[in-house]
Amino acid sequence: MTLSASELSRYHRHLALPELGRAGQERLKRARVVVIGAGGLGSPAALYLAAAGVGTLGLVDCDRVELSNLQRQVLFDAAAVGRLKTEAARERLLALNPEISVLAHTLTLCADNVLEVLSGYDLVLDGTDRVSTRYVVNDACVLLRKPLVSAAIHRFEGHAMTYLPGRGPCYRCLFPAAEEGAAANCAQAGVLGVLPGVLGAIQATEAVKVLTGIGEPIVGRLLTYDALDLRFLELPVTRRADCAVCGERPTITAPRDAGEVCDMDALRRVRRLSAAALNELLAAQAGAAGVALIDVREPHEFNTRHLPAARNIPLADLAGRLSELSAGCTPVFVCRSGRRSLEACALALRSGIEAPAHLEGGLLAWAEQVDPAFPVAAG
Amino acid sequence: MSCIVRIPSPLRSYTAGAAAVPAEGATVEEVLASLEHRFSGIRFRMVDEQSRVRPHIRLYVNTAEVTVLSQTVGTGDVVHVICALSGG
Repeated sequence: MTLSASELSRYHRHLALPELGRAGQERLKRARVVVIGAGGLGSPAALYLAAAGVGTLGLVDCDRVELSNLQRQVLFDAAAVGRLKTEAARERLLALNPEISVLAHTLTLCADNVLEVLSGYDLVLDGTDRVSTRYVVNDACVLLRKPLVSAAIHRFEGHAMTYLPGRGPCYRCLFPAAEEGAAANCAQAGVLGVLPGVLGAIQATEAVKVLTGIGEPIVGRLLTYDALDLRFLELPVTRRADCAVCGERPTITAPRDAGEVCDMDALRRVRRLSAAALNELLAAQAGAAGVALIDVREPHEFNTRHLPAARNIPLADLAGRLSELSAGCTPVFVCRSGRRSLEACALALRSGIEAPAHLEGGLLAWAEQVDPAFPVAAG
Repeated sequence: MSCIVRIPSPLRSYTAGAAAVPAEGATVEEVLASLEHRFSGIRFRMVDEQSRVRPHIRLYVNTAEVTVLSQTVGTGDVVHVICALSGG
């Protein structure tokens, strides 16, 4: 695939780099890269990849441009508000470089379609804002043996790592799973507008390096960035032999969708009570109706032993029974370890309950800190 | 032994926004206990009830990954707490 006269002119500064040169530029022209998420990360990454002359760029996003996106999503301008991101981005990228192809995938990436979408590309760049999509994309890249350049951001902090098939750890090696409500989703938490600019540019840099075979990609190295301290840090990551998708005995042999995770910002509104604090609260509230202590364990666990003031609403039943909670009453959820009670708080928040509380560390913490005689089954 | 613990953005609600806090301890377990003493609830966000590092968290002493909580920490070491991020 040779370069036209206008391409020789457009890419002159690349051609002047001996490490990249004409052969590297031709590799870029032949390359097909898909960007997952036309958001904060995807915007600068796609712009730089288009400018660099990546021959075919795919964009996956199902959202429309919102005014609040413009603070960081530099692919879009005010006139694009309300338009599909994929369509507005395609126009912008082709305006920047009409010599490339831009393909719009206006869809939500999931287990059912991820292999079909990704199989048409040489390299995947993940800039999604959903935990579940990160795992779907990672697993598909491992199964399809596609390079994956991953990045994520939250407030003032960012991470980046590159996966190359057969050469290093994948995203699941880095974080084997994201528990319910555990990974930080920054949709409402706020993010410094220029932060994804830094991380997205790093992703584009990695993509160009991998595609042209120059330099040393951040394989097996997690790059962290703290914008407030302007601090980069590199931490080693090794491949896990027990990784569920790239390990020696993989249990994930096809993409699968994870359950929805609740977002971190909502969980910040949860009042977290230590066992001692709950003990004091219950003593102060004895006989009053201000606090509703809800034990969200299964009935057989509840029946073994429970706090005297508690009533049992198992987590699985909670959504249908939230109406049983009195208005004006603060629910305090408890469970064995604090995990189910945190999920209960997330459910309560989504249902409009303003300030749910939970017992941090669960009844295990209660037994440890307040009542050593309180029996809690081992996990 | 005193060290510095670098707190990831998602857990800074426990540390009043502080990105780095001093802690005491000769092992990672002791450092986490020291943190918990000052910032109630933070330990449980990093390790589970079986004292295993949670799957969305990674701990490092300087640049060495923590695989067991008995791993030693020296004076002046930096313990990095890395939490999965999902924003894009």
